[in-house]
Amino acid sequence: MTRDAIIVTGLFKTQEETLAAVEKIQGKGFQVTEVHSPIPSSSLARALGTKKSKVGWFTLIGGIIGFFSGFSLAVFTATRWSLIVSGKPIISWIPFFVIGFEFTILFAVLGNVLGIVAQVGFPDPDYEKNYDPECSGSMYGIEVVSTPEDADRLRDLLDRTGSLKQQRENK
Amino acid sequence: MSQLTFETINTTVLDTLSRPGKTYWSIIALLFCGTLLGASCWIYQIFAGVGVAGMNTPVHWGTYLINFVFWVGIAHSGTLISAILFLFRAGWRNPIARAAETMTVFAVCIAGLFPLIHLGRVWLVFYMLPIPNQRTLWPNFQSPLIFDVVAISTYLTVSVLFWYTGLVPDLAIIRDRSQGVRKKIFKVLSLGWSGRTGQWINYSRGYLLFAGLATPLVISVHSVVSWDFALSVVPGWHTTIFAPYFVAGAIHSGLAMVLTLSIPLRKIFKFEALITMDVLENIAKTIVFTGIIVGFSYGTELFIAWYSRNIIEMETFWWRAFGHYAPEYWVMVICNTVIPLLYLFKKIRTHIIPLFVISIFINIGMWFERFVIIVGSVAHDFLPNAWGHYRPTFVEVGILVGAFCLFFFLFLLFVKHLPSVSMTEMKEIIHKTE
Repeated sequence: MTRDAIIVTGLFKTQEETLAAVEKIQGKGFQVTEVHSPIPSSSLARALGTKKSKVGWFTLIGGIIGFFSGFSLAVFTATRWSLIVSGKPIISWIPFFVIGFEFTILFAVLGNVLGIVAQVGFPDPDYEKNYDPECSGSMYGIEVVSTPEDADRLRDLLDRTGSLKQQRENK
Repeated sequence: MSQLTFETINTTVLDTLSRPGKTYWSIIALLFCGTLLGASCWIYQIFAGVGVAGMNTPVHWGTYLINFVFWVGIAHSGTLISAILFLFRAGWRNPIARAAETMTVFAVCIAGLFPLIHLGRVWLVFYMLPIPNQRTLWPNFQSPLIFDVVAISTYLTVSVLFWYTGLVPDLAIIRDRSQGVRKKIFKVLSLGWSGRTGQWINYSRGYLLFAGLATPLVISVHSVVSWDFALSVVPGWHTTIFAPYFVAGAIHSGLAMVLTLSIPLRKIFKFEALITMDVLENIAKTIVFTGIIVGFSYGTELFIAWYSRNIIEMETFWWRAFGHYAPEYWVMVICNTVIPLLYLFKKIRTHIIPLFVISIFINIGMWFERFVIIVGSVAHDFLPNAWGHYRPTFVEVGILVGAFCLFFFLFLLFVKHLPSVSMTEMKEIIHKTE
């Protein structure tokens, strides 16, 4: 995106109208950079070419770390005194597996949260940029990049695709 | 559901967050007084010693641990609705998922208080935690009581994070329709959510994984709670059926509590279009299912005791049904297995009043189930000369009342300050049905 490029945003009422508008605008050679929507939509994500989520990797790594941490904690603490309780071996695999399991879930969830925070981009103090508050409630907002020369053509195009409201901001 | 639009969902739910009236604050004040009563009883016990509770030889596990198991059980159904039914794509769970998740969070917090109360010398709670100390003493991780510490702490952490994650898009809706200080607060709480496609992709994946992780967790946590009993040798406890029996009982009681909370919520906030009769009917049908599992478990316990020909087991179960605690036993059987069968009749399960009344009976029955299991076994175990009875004292009753008041106090605060129905999930349902 060049330095003098501008973003024009349009608002749509339904997901179907938004999807049709995105495809039409992309067809005319403009780049739709973002869609803001009140609910998740896989078809919009596909149209924008949004990459697959990597949150699962954070979760998986968290889970693996958790299992070994839980199991190691139980083994470490048991071997500090090596005291036989109820005739059970010092390193008792079955009870320690329970601790390992609970730690697996705990760390996997913490990894998952870390993944969401990192991938979603929380907290985002600049969320208001190009964002219309209507988009959290019921509307779909799209952001399209344009050069200043093409801005009028883009606005016409947005009008023809059914956009209810338009705004422009310098990027 | 067809008359709903995204905007009507927003309006209906956001209207519940308007400034509450005098009645609301009066109820809040009353519940706060009840909570104070419980807190006072606990403080009295801390100063006077745990002897002020009715627990004494042979019954050293009394109301506190009954309440612990009861509240953990209540919590489980929230996770069933928010996680397990989410994985099964059961659309009817969406209107009640938020209330159920919130119920989980508060119920686990309250459940977590009871082992602390039961400890007596609560300031020694750190003995249960793996903290490096001068004497190099560590918790015994072979003990089911320490499994419990790990499991409940994990469950509380996961439930709170799951609940908050689910709230984020709804917090953004409130933020975008607020002014002044309220806007500032929700701006922070919503973490800058703007519903970008990239955000939704990662959020949805994270939420799905949350549900996937919460499902085995919820089953493991109540299994661990059951092993507090089953891994001992006490007759009536030392049985392999305990884990599935406890999990089914937990879901049974939790679903009943969801009905107890949802029905007034629906009436007071005029949520009839969101929490439809179909939703309540589906909960009632699930209660019939869990009630049958619970009834089957009661029968299996009796059968195993008889089939084992173990005289101590047989005596324990005979005494449960016809001994000193027979009234409690029959309250348990009737409220948990017979009364829920009334939901088999469509007329009953589609009428608000019987739905609500039966849910209360199940809550009572499930509390007595824990009473019968815990007290009924230790009061009458191996040695006849060591048999004895247990009755809760005013301190235990005060703390019991305080716990219920605290739960409803927190829940009422929640429904007027945060969205009690997930707007985003409701919109997803109507988008799918359109």
